Amino acid sequence: MRTDIIRTYKAVHTWTGITTGLLLFVAFYAGALTMFKQTLQRWSEPVSLAVAAPIGADQLIARTLALHPEFAKDFTLHLDGPARLSMKQSRRDTEPMLAIAGAEGDIVVRQDRSSGVDWLVDVVHRTAGLPVDLELGTAITGLAAALYALALISGLIILLPSLVKDLFALRLGKNVKRLWMDAHNLVGLVSLPFHLVMAFSAVVFGWHDLFYDALDQGVYQGRMAAIMRISNPPPPFAGDKTPVRTLDVAAILARSAEIAPGLHPTAIEYRNFGTKAATLRVVGDDPRYLVRGHGFLSLGGTDGAVLNREYLPGQQGTYSAVVSSFFALHFGEFGGDTVRWGYFFLGLSGAFLFYSGNLLWIESRRRPRRGQVEVPSQNRSTRIMAGLSVGVCLGTVAGLSASIVAARWLQGQFLDVNGWSRAVFYLVLVLAVGHALRHGAAPSAPRLLWLAAGATMALPLTSLVLGRTAAPGVDAVALGAGVVLALSARKTARRVARGPIDSVWSAARLEKEGLQS
Amino acid sequence: MNAHWWSKSLAGIVCGFALALGLAGLLAWAGPGGVNAINKTQLVMWSIAPLWLTALSLVFLFPTGRQAWAWLGGANLVVWSAMLLTRAWAV
Repeated sequence: MRTDIIRTYKAVHTWTGITTGLLLFVAFYAGALTMFKQTLQRWSEPVSLAVAAPIGADQLIARTLALHPEFAKDFTLHLDGPARLSMKQSRRDTEPMLAIAGAEGDIVVRQDRSSGVDWLVDVVHRTAGLPVDLELGTAITGLAAALYALALISGLIILLPSLVKDLFALRLGKNVKRLWMDAHNLVGLVSLPFHLVMAFSAVVFGWHDLFYDALDQGVYQGRMAAIMRISNPPPPFAGDKTPVRTLDVAAILARSAEIAPGLHPTAIEYRNFGTKAATLRVVGDDPRYLVRGHGFLSLGGTDGAVLNREYLPGQQGTYSAVVSSFFALHFGEFGGDTVRWGYFFLGLSGAFLFYSGNLLWIESRRRPRRGQVEVPSQNRSTRIMAGLSVGVCLGTVAGLSASIVAARWLQGQFLDVNGWSRAVFYLVLVLAVGHALRHGAAPSAPRLLWLAAGATMALPLTSLVLGRTAAPGVDAVALGAGVVLALSARKTARRVARGPIDSVWSAARLEKEGLQS
Repeated sequence: MNAHWWSKSLAGIVCGFALALGLAGLLAWAGPGGVNAINKTQLVMWSIAPLWLTALSLVFLFPTGRQAWAWLGGANLVVWSAMLLTRAWAV
């Protein structure tokens, strides 16, 4: 390939990479954690909902609706854990109303403010850690993902000419930059399919409204809504409020098992309960298939007739199945725990890709000392980038660990645990970035690594102090991660003190420049 | 940074998007099952991102910005004509 083309793609790779690397690091690190967000939630809130329901699900529904008839229009019966009902005010309601049976069989209705950690990890992932609302955050992440797709393809093009020679070379020589470059290339190439899936799907998640508008105008002649309705016909008797008994839970589950034996139901969503227009969605998982979020089966509420199986794993039409696979490939929703762990490590390796990319950018702009006595001062841009890389990346790691720990300690202390644990995340992140920019990357790196190690170790320590844990796996992984971070902190401190002086990573340089922290 | 860089990027963003939209439209009208196939609009929408970003990524292979505009513009002409023809035929 012509060298000028390679040079152009190097520029594309550099620019797209350096402008998005930090956002993508946050999205990938938090994204890796989202693979276990329910487990983290259980860890942070071990006591909630732990009481077994003293009454059956049908009783729970009947008594709740007697007290709160407004639930009937749209509510969900949760079958994982103790039976409970939830009612969202809107599709994006993160604090739905919850109805649970008390010990005496009485119904307790309260707002669910406890969905803290799983929600937090998810929000940080989708907004890439930016303190904006979800919609804007997802759009910005979508833009970053578009640039990231460019970075991926340009990276591949740069690598192509020397692919065979360089792929499995991991040159552990004196040239540290070469080693980082080899590692960056190897991780990038091996996980390329994963990254392409993430990049394309994140663009869709951020910009689907724009794409649909463009399609409606340019392709469907303004008839897109009508065409979509053909796929989703209104249920029979829609709007018919005549009171009719809705099927009981056992009958619904039996009907679901008959139609979809592989589906493990986790919830039933009811619409227009107790009327002729009632519809049901049996929501569940089937690890054998690529599933979009959760699979579901739509049934008529009075007769159990199948209304829609387009979202039912294994029984979808081709177009639905293909789209479901895109969702499943983004969220790692197939193959159960094996894939979940695989995605966890792929997510972390993605975070490594962006961190190492930033380091390479900094390193290739380094002004080396060539014989002269005077140590050259480093560029302002590389100093700032080094500070940001250290501050944002380590601040995210420390901040998420700290907020998960905070959620557990603040449980029952404040009304709004949600808001508090998110505040802890931003506080740690902002302090980390501020510290790294003010004092420079060199002295900050080991300090922030210690901070991240401490915050992560605080998870198993908390369980130890409180004397119990709902998710021992979380404690074990956090302990391991804490040890790795602590070892990195020690090694980094050594480099800062004794490493090459003509680098942003040397504290000795700062002393020389009179910038000592 | 040279002038071609901006010209090519813009060609990739504008013509690339138009091309992706046209190809998605071709899939919608001429693809299997016809335009009304169940949940096909979702796949049509999903196809835009990879098509667009692939075009945007490969646009830098053109030696000059002018060539990028010419080739992508030409491709748009072909794809959109085909899409509009199949649409007119289908309606």
